Amino acid sequence: MQQVVQEVIVCKKTDLNPGEMMESTFGKHSIVVARASDGEYYAFLNRCIHQGAALSKGKICGAPEPTDNLGEYDFKREGDILRCPWHGREFDIKNEGCMLANSKFKLKNFKVKVEDENVIVYK
Amino acid sequence: MVKTTTKDQKNTKQQSKLHLIDTDIHERAQYKDLLPYLDQPYRRYITDCHWLQEKHMPYTQPAVAGVDRADARVPDGRPAGSDLSFMKEQLLDPVGHEVGILTGALDPSPSSMHGWYEMATALASAYNDWQIENWLDKDERLYGSVHIAAQDPQAAVREIERVGSHPKMVQVLLPIDDKLWGDPFYHPIFEAAERHDLMIGMHHNEPPIHYGQWPRYFIEWHTLIPTAHMMQVTNMVFNGVFEKFPKLKLMMIEGGFTYVPFLMRKMDQQYKDLRHEVPWIKRMPSDIIREHVCFTTQPLEEMTKKEFLQIIEQMGSDEMVSFSTDYPHWDYDSPYESLPPNLGEDLTRKLFSENARNFYPKLQRIGREK
Repeated sequence: MQQVVQEVIVCKKTDLNPGEMMESTFGKHSIVVARASDGEYYAFLNRCIHQGAALSKGKICGAPEPTDNLGEYDFKREGDILRCPWHGREFDIKNEGCMLANSKFKLKNFKVKVEDENVIVYK
Repeated sequence: MVKTTTKDQKNTKQQSKLHLIDTDIHERAQYKDLLPYLDQPYRRYITDCHWLQEKHMPYTQPAVAGVDRADARVPDGRPAGSDLSFMKEQLLDPVGHEVGILTGALDPSPSSMHGWYEMATALASAYNDWQIENWLDKDERLYGSVHIAAQDPQAAVREIERVGSHPKMVQVLLPIDDKLWGDPFYHPIFEAAERHDLMIGMHHNEPPIHYGQWPRYFIEWHTLIPTAHMMQVTNMVFNGVFEKFPKLKLMMIEGGFTYVPFLMRKMDQQYKDLRHEVPWIKRMPSDIIREHVCFTTQPLEEMTKKEFLQIIEQMGSDEMVSFSTDYPHWDYDSPYESLPPNLGEDLTRKLFSENARNFYPKLQRIGREK
């Protein structure tokens, strides 16, 4: 009987600065652990929902806010948006990995907690 | 006992080899790579005179790593597509390519070379030699495209005569640019291609989708690439290119194919009304397209199986579309993920290899030898 992975230390708190991400594993899953601009940690399946690219090879960045004004670029949320390394799709790491272009779609995400110096992904 | 989930099955499938004929892979030369293949004085225009091809997109590239996949940069820092070993490791070996057709990243076309055809011709020759020596001769799976400076047809014919008989050169790559390819001006190029069993490939170029200029945003340009392809196919067919050169076939690369049913229907409709203007066309344009034109898949729109099959059905043939990845560019299509699932063994085989093999005479020969 294979034991189901319940809890895994995926990195140390100090492994990531705000606005950074790293690849890790949770059981059989490759995951990406991201630290948002406010210092919170998030974890997602390391696989874009579009064509399966490894998200950890992409970029954590910001995004221009939706606007009513043609030509207006209001670039915000630096450190909170994960962009896919292939087609550049934007996912909001602070909002369950929702796709910015269409929030009906989101990345598969995992629960994360911090205990002492450890970042832990759990079921 | 471990329960196997659908996802697991998908992951297992991902590792299977596909025996793919990939109709659009971009190898990349930097100008320093071409120097050994350039004669003087052209070499010194680059080494001593700071010559650079005047060509740029007027956009900040909206993807993560410019026009490339962010994970395709060579680990030593060189640009994506510039190293055969890394291409093997990232693409050819894991996917199990049977054949990869190289479509280059050089564009000695009028939009980038203005009137200096001599330099364009020299660059095209250097590029072909570099491609043969560093790619075609080094990996049996890779096949190539003859680059020409199309704006000088006589020089272009000389180049086709020089390298076109190479057994791994399968097509002449023609820039989609400021002159449509049905113009009789280009007939010598088609004659030379026919002589060497070469097909014609047209890959999207910049910027002709917008009255020869750039639209304001990259998203517009990228959306409208098929319009440039529609212009070329329409022009080639109505100008009688395929009637005059019956062995010639045209591969439209990186414009997708979902526009094709519309174009065929529209051209047929026009032909019924306006045939008298083009009496050298003696059959329905859609029949000419079905016989002479093939389309690469990428960039694929996301479709359900039903939607995908509807488009194939409206084309009236499942032998006109060939899969392409466009590796290593940002809009790469994964052969495992981009098509709708369960298209059936027959159609999948046609898309992944059979249609391309039937299209390129030199690949048919290889198939028979194997």
